[in-house]
Amino acid sequence: MSLLSVENLRVRFPTDQGEVDVVKGLSFTLNRERLGIVGESGSGKSMTGRALMGLIAPPGRVTADRLEFDGIDLRALPESGFRKLRGARMSMVLQDPKFSLNPVIRIGEQIGEALQFHRRMSAAARRQAVLDVLEAVRIDDPERVYRLFPHEVSGGMGQRVMIAMMVALEPDLMIADEPTSALDVSVRATVLEILDDLVRRRGMGLILISHDLDMVARWCDRILVMYAGRVVEECAAGQLHAATHPYTRGLLASVPHLNETRRRLPVLDRAAIGVGT
Amino acid sequence: MIDIRDLTVRFNGAPVVHGVSFSVAKGESFALVGESGSGKSTILKAIAGQARDWSGTIKLDGESLGRTRDASFVRRVQMVFQDPYGSLHPRRSVDETLSEPLAVHGIPDRDGRVLAMLDAVGLSRKFRFRLPHQLSGGQRQRVAIARALMLQPQVVLLDEPTSALDVSVQAEILNLLADLREEQGLTFLLVTHDLPIVSFLCDRLAVLRRGRLEEVTPVTALRTGQLTSDYGRELVARSAG
Repeated sequence: MSLLSVENLRVRFPTDQGEVDVVKGLSFTLNRERLGIVGESGSGKSMTGRALMGLIAPPGRVTADRLEFDGIDLRALPESGFRKLRGARMSMVLQDPKFSLNPVIRIGEQIGEALQFHRRMSAAARRQAVLDVLEAVRIDDPERVYRLFPHEVSGGMGQRVMIAMMVALEPDLMIADEPTSALDVSVRATVLEILDDLVRRRGMGLILISHDLDMVARWCDRILVMYAGRVVEECAAGQLHAATHPYTRGLLASVPHLNETRRRLPVLDRAAIGVGT
Repeated sequence: MIDIRDLTVRFNGAPVVHGVSFSVAKGESFALVGESGSGKSTILKAIAGQARDWSGTIKLDGESLGRTRDASFVRRVQMVFQDPYGSLHPRRSVDETLSEPLAVHGIPDRDGRVLAMLDAVGLSRKFRFRLPHQLSGGQRQRVAIARALMLQPQVVLLDEPTSALDVSVQAEILNLLADLREEQGLTFLLVTHDLPIVSFLCDRLAVLRRGRLEEVTPVTALRTGQLTSDYGRELVARSAG
């Protein structure tokens, strides 16, 4: 049985012009592997991640023919059930640590909060667990970082703290939604290495959501390309450059290269893609 | 066009840019690259007059600039910011945003100029009376570029103009910037951490690290991987991943 199986997932929001499907019948399965979801803004990739975590708030609605996480039917799961899963069994790392960390709680205490919620342990054991997990995300001086407030750390450090928080309980599934796009190019690789290492060592399933094709190709095993709420292409990461769908090809062509000599960059011809909204 | 000598910029007394010198020729596209905290945006701010505590000389077209910027400066130098969500007034229509610089500088024929500019940046005229929230990110950045060009400046300062956009939209905006530069003979000073963009849009680049200039080199050196400074090569290696 796969860790996650999704069939015909739809996410729907009411608007002034009637109901709009932002995810239109998505199906995939995930084992303990690294799956990349790429697409532009508005392609539904982040909404897919949120739907899996049960984070689509009303009036948004999630429907699916099948939505199972390790044998648990997520469609029927009440909020209290999701609270037990989130953090402990499935976790999400968001784009910008500046907005996902609580600015008035010390970093160590924030990480400890998840442990406190999900596991009974003494304060001393909890503190040690937090220090261990900070060390696991390659923070050199965990004792010092434990006492810092989020504004006292850099973006890259903040994102490592977020990852520490997410892996503290060793979840089975990690959803990383643009985990590096708020970071400098120079620290992106470090953050992804840490994530990758944790996923491999602890045998987690990873869903990496990004608009960056090259990044996803480098760090994932398999890739779904989304456009306008649908998967337009699915391929092994190594085969991305052999992609056949005009949308994927258009995206790949529009990225400038380091040795760029083209006078104009090719632009997506959305009419030709033919899977428009 | 822009000549910078021994520029040191301080925030609360602490120097963040240390004695940087470079010059940008008329019609040239010049890039400042480096990581966060390298001082690249701060240099742009000093030129634009947003950072006041600086020493050294900043010359525009041979004329030394003081602490404050006057109307003739803003007619010659305009800026485009990173985030088109934050840089447009949320309650002002595209028309108001584009007309305001003309009104401030007492330039006639606003109607005609706004329409001509919408055409120039590739925005359909139907967007003229829309508000920013009714536009996509790429359309907003087109409005921000249009606003910067309303006064027909010679120099455009670009602070990470595409980093908030999707790659497909980024390609459209980069093409637009390249076309506008060619049509209007603009001088660009671009700040970015994204080296492939430099390769596409610029003639020369300066590599900055911790407020110091590591090297200034033609973009061909970037394309062929022949940067001379260790740090420059490190940036290229990381960018290539």
